[in-house]
Amino acid sequence: MEEAWLIPALPAAAFVILLLFGKYLPRHGDWLAIGAIATSFVLFFFVLADLLDDMVGTEFDKALGQSGIEWVSFGDFELRLGFQVDQLAIVMLAVVTFITLMVLVYSTGYMKGDPRYGWYFAAISLFAAAMLTLVLADNFLLLYAAWEGVGFGSYLLIGFWHEKRSATEAAKKAFITTRIGDVGLLIGIILLWREAGTFDMSEIFEFAESGGYSSEYLTMAVLFLFAGAVGKSAQFPLHVWLPDAMEGPTPVSALIHAATMVVAGVYLVARLMPLFAAADPIALNVVTAIGLTTVMMSATMGLVATDIKRVIAYSTINSLGLMMVALGSLSVSAAMLYLFAHSFFKALLFLSAGSVIHATERQEVSELGGLARRMPVTAAVFAVGALSMAGIVPLAGFWAKDEILNVAGDSQNFVVYGFLMLSVFITALYMTRVVILTFLGEPRDREAHQHAHDAEPVMTLPLLLLAGLTVMAGFVVFDGVGEALGFPGGIGEFVFLEGPEAFHFPWDVAVLSTLSAVAGLAGGFYFWSGAAEPARRAGELFRPAYEILKRKFFMDDIYQWAIDRVVLAAGGVIAWFDRNVVNDTGVDGSARLGVFAGFGMKFLETGKLPNYALAIVTGVIVLAIVFMVVRV
Amino acid sequence: MIPIENFLVLSGILFSIGIYGVLARRNAVLIIMSVELMLQAVSINFIAFAVYLHPEQFTGLIFAIFVITIAAAEVGLALGIILRIFRNKGTANVDEVDMLKW
Repeated sequence: MEEAWLIPALPAAAFVILLLFGKYLPRHGDWLAIGAIATSFVLFFFVLADLLDDMVGTEFDKALGQSGIEWVSFGDFELRLGFQVDQLAIVMLAVVTFITLMVLVYSTGYMKGDPRYGWYFAAISLFAAAMLTLVLADNFLLLYAAWEGVGFGSYLLIGFWHEKRSATEAAKKAFITTRIGDVGLLIGIILLWREAGTFDMSEIFEFAESGGYSSEYLTMAVLFLFAGAVGKSAQFPLHVWLPDAMEGPTPVSALIHAATMVVAGVYLVARLMPLFAAADPIALNVVTAIGLTTVMMSATMGLVATDIKRVIAYSTINSLGLMMVALGSLSVSAAMLYLFAHSFFKALLFLSAGSVIHATERQEVSELGGLARRMPVTAAVFAVGALSMAGIVPLAGFWAKDEILNVAGDSQNFVVYGFLMLSVFITALYMTRVVILTFLGEPRDREAHQHAHDAEPVMTLPLLLLAGLTVMAGFVVFDGVGEALGFPGGIGEFVFLEGPEAFHFPWDVAVLSTLSAVAGLAGGFYFWSGAAEPARRAGELFRPAYEILKRKFFMDDIYQWAIDRVVLAAGGVIAWFDRNVVNDTGVDGSARLGVFAGFGMKFLETGKLPNYALAIVTGVIVLAIVFMVVRV
Repeated sequence: MIPIENFLVLSGILFSIGIYGVLARRNAVLIIMSVELMLQAVSINFIAFAVYLHPEQFTGLIFAIFVITIAAAEVGLALGIILRIFRNKGTANVDEVDMLKW
């Protein structure tokens, strides 16, 4: 596992080379970025083989295969920076390297002719390097640095078309919103370090298990850490940045805002599960509550969004919320299974939506429609992704979602379970809606429809690969499949917290969830097929509810109000204080005081030697007297 | 042996005379002479304490020799400066040499 550091190092090297020499390379060096990530993807298999050799039923937090360097050491404090490969990291490595590779290949078609083509590949390489470092980090400091690195990469790529004002606004919004969570993450890390005296994760876990932290302290710390995950994984109430982040190029949305970066929060919580488990149960309840709120809000907002990418963005938030609910139910394997499956079908959805946008240059579903006839391949793979998202057997989404429903049913109360079932229905409803409005019915924009066609092979090939994986990825739940691939068993026996779990399949959950999903599909066809007359009538009937959803639960308005009234008002007060008190009184005042005092004191400089001599003698005598008085 | 108090009183008297000279005199040459008196008062202290406290060591004596050497060099320098002032201003009265002020 010594070679694990190469996995992030290769994209990082590609970034540096592209940044410096990209202009002089043929094709602006896109092959270099693709080659670097492809090599990382190959290396992943070597690391996986090593890991499978090493692990015999170990828990993931028992650091398997650490390697690293001593960074600084002062006093008895040592800071090691290192990489660690375990089951969690392996799942993420698979997802990140593979999806990045697919997205980069796709981008060679999608971004063709863009004036900043080379910079695009450089920025994605930077992002991939940061993301892979985040995945492999064995201590909180490196993790935090990489965490900010992916945030920065995301900022660069959302604002990639920075000629568009909306893109720069979205980039700023994403960066600042996630930063709010990141402050919590940093505070949490400092809290953990303050008691344990180390940043090393496995040492901190041991410290927590041996009762080093008091229960309240640990609960507070993990809730701060969770704030970071809330920001990064777009959970309520910091979810507002993700729909706006769709201003970036669509492959970027697929990579960063669906498959990799946004699941970093889920990954963080999964990695810290031993701490959550050791803390007060209230911490896990908060995770569940936030996740469930996110699921319900995003699912309902997805019903009324009109931008095809935004609908998928809401479905991403929906999925992230589901993963959080799984983690809140203390099930790392369910969350990681969903993460694994989700990355394939969500990247597929985004990339095929990208093909639609590429072909029609339209994003609003009101201008699309009837595209299935023009782009059959795209329509087919999009439908596969949508069905997977809706949770139709036997696609990946079905197995993953069922696993979550399963653990939620076991460890949560029936309210959570009921809401999750409802969310399955709504998810199916809005996924059907977006499929119907985009690909079925009559074209609403003749001109766009005329020119639409399936994308070139370099873009279609990743779509087909992802579609294949969307069909198959879910089968990793079966113990037989896992054993055939060389794993100890299904994913439950590979990624786990408390003990390996063999695959089991409760029929009641599966039947219930399938019924909800099918009801959603049927409802979607009823509401939106043809002229979508029932949908309009429903919108009229529930106008206030429709308005609330349309306005995104007023979250953006609340934030805007808070920024205008609270932040800017407070900023005004601080600015006044800074201008008048700090600057005019403090800085300028001290300067003026110096000038004034200097003017007054300069008359002491008479230039006459006897005066100086007298001053010296007087001074010495005074000092001597003071010395004697004080001393005796 | 002469008691050490005698030397200390002598050096105290010399030092005070020196201070008086520095403060009261206006002629630069006389001020330098007064400074020399103060230096020699210090030298006397050095020698007296050296002999009384550590007769086997020469530290104090060597200090006195250093003081004498440096005083000689200092006088040479100071007299040179005073000569230049006298050439330029036609006086060696320190009250009248007060150009270096506000």
